[in-house]
Amino acid sequence: MHTVIRQMSQLRLQAMPSSALLKATASASAPSALDHSGAPVNHHSLHTAAGSGGALCASWNKHNNGPRKWLVYNKTVHPPQQPDEEPRKAYVCHMRSNIKYSPDKMWYIAAFVRGMSVDEALKQLNFVLKKGATDVKETILEAQEMAVQRHNVEYKSNLWVAESFVGKGRVFKGMRRHARGRFGQVEYKHCHYFVRLEEGQPPEHYYQEPQTPEQQYEHWLEQMRSRKVINSL
Amino acid sequence: MSKNLILSLTNFVRSLERLFLPYGGHPPALALPGFQHEHSSTSNTNRPQEFSLKKLIADGMLWAVPRHRRSVEKRLNRKFGYPEYVWKPLKVKRNIRSCQTCGHDHELGVLCPFCYNKVLKETEQMQAKIQEKLGLDPVDKEVIVLYEGEKAEQTAEQLQGKRIVEMKKPRPMWFTKNLLQKSTQQQSEAKEVKPSDLA
Repeated sequence: MHTVIRQMSQLRLQAMPSSALLKATASASAPSALDHSGAPVNHHSLHTAAGSGGALCASWNKHNNGPRKWLVYNKTVHPPQQPDEEPRKAYVCHMRSNIKYSPDKMWYIAAFVRGMSVDEALKQLNFVLKKGATDVKETILEAQEMAVQRHNVEYKSNLWVAESFVGKGRVFKGMRRHARGRFGQVEYKHCHYFVRLEEGQPPEHYYQEPQTPEQQYEHWLEQMRSRKVINSL
Repeated sequence: MSKNLILSLTNFVRSLERLFLPYGGHPPALALPGFQHEHSSTSNTNRPQEFSLKKLIADGMLWAVPRHRRSVEKRLNRKFGYPEYVWKPLKVKRNIRSCQTCGHDHELGVLCPFCYNKVLKETEQMQAKIQEKLGLDPVDKEVIVLYEGEKAEQTAEQLQGKRIVEMKKPRPMWFTKNLLQKSTQQQSEAKEVKPSDLA
């Protein structure tokens, strides 16, 4: 209850979710991590990957539950909008931490899904022959569920993947033998997967629009003209 | 202070040596107790405290070291691949269609995995039932599988040389009787065999 009150009092300052303000709410995130235990879809309250045994189990990993800032974006209370303003698009931030997969390899799947509508992303992920694809698919399904139930999204198909990225997780080191008495180091890598679904149709171009030759020329000309001639008047 | 530094450094290198090259690089091939490798015994007795960094380098531990820094273009090419040769980012598959029977997605030209698994499970059950009845008998008779509440259509004489297996469940809706008919070649009635058809 006290976490909600703290955010309501910041209402006047919060024009848009900015990192400086969210740092203040980061202290509230410790109890907030347990809020998700009531969710019907999430069977892990701490958003860790399912089937994580070994060194990632609770008895060894109590001090490190993974990143917490991403989920705080879900709790931001936006100020009420003016009647003439365009309605703010609903969004939901979700993550899965400590997936037993290399972050470099997971990056390809995260980049693949960026900018797709949720249905298209789920359909395509069925046919991606990579281990991380199952985790990404499950995360997106959970996020879709959350959006519909708790984030005021009307149609579950009316969502698109606005942000999708990977972070480095726990790394355990081990040794393996080679020939001739040599030893090599083995890294058991984990990664975190973050996704933000936004309501609406996906944009035509997620990154920059492909530039026409004229636009490229203009850009080049601008750069050439903005150069500084040193030691000049 | 410097003497301590040098001592600590040499000790560190020696402990590294012992970690990465036990037995001075030559582990005994035949590890019997009391047996000493011919080379190691002589080397150990002669030079117990020698600093063998030269040996370390001679062994090739520091070869194959990068000479130049990889440029950002090379790095990006390794990460993203080359559009003409190997494209590393994942490509969107345009050959996905939804199955008209079950509604799940499948690739064009490939059987729908959902429908296939359904048939697979049923087949496995049938095979388990047949195996139960078969036991250690040789596989020489034709098998007729009957579901709950079904009767064999053939007469008693026709059924004599055949094995009847009864499944304890109702027939699945999709498993029609005409699926088992041979649609390609009819069984021939002729008794004569052409010489070319033998073996």
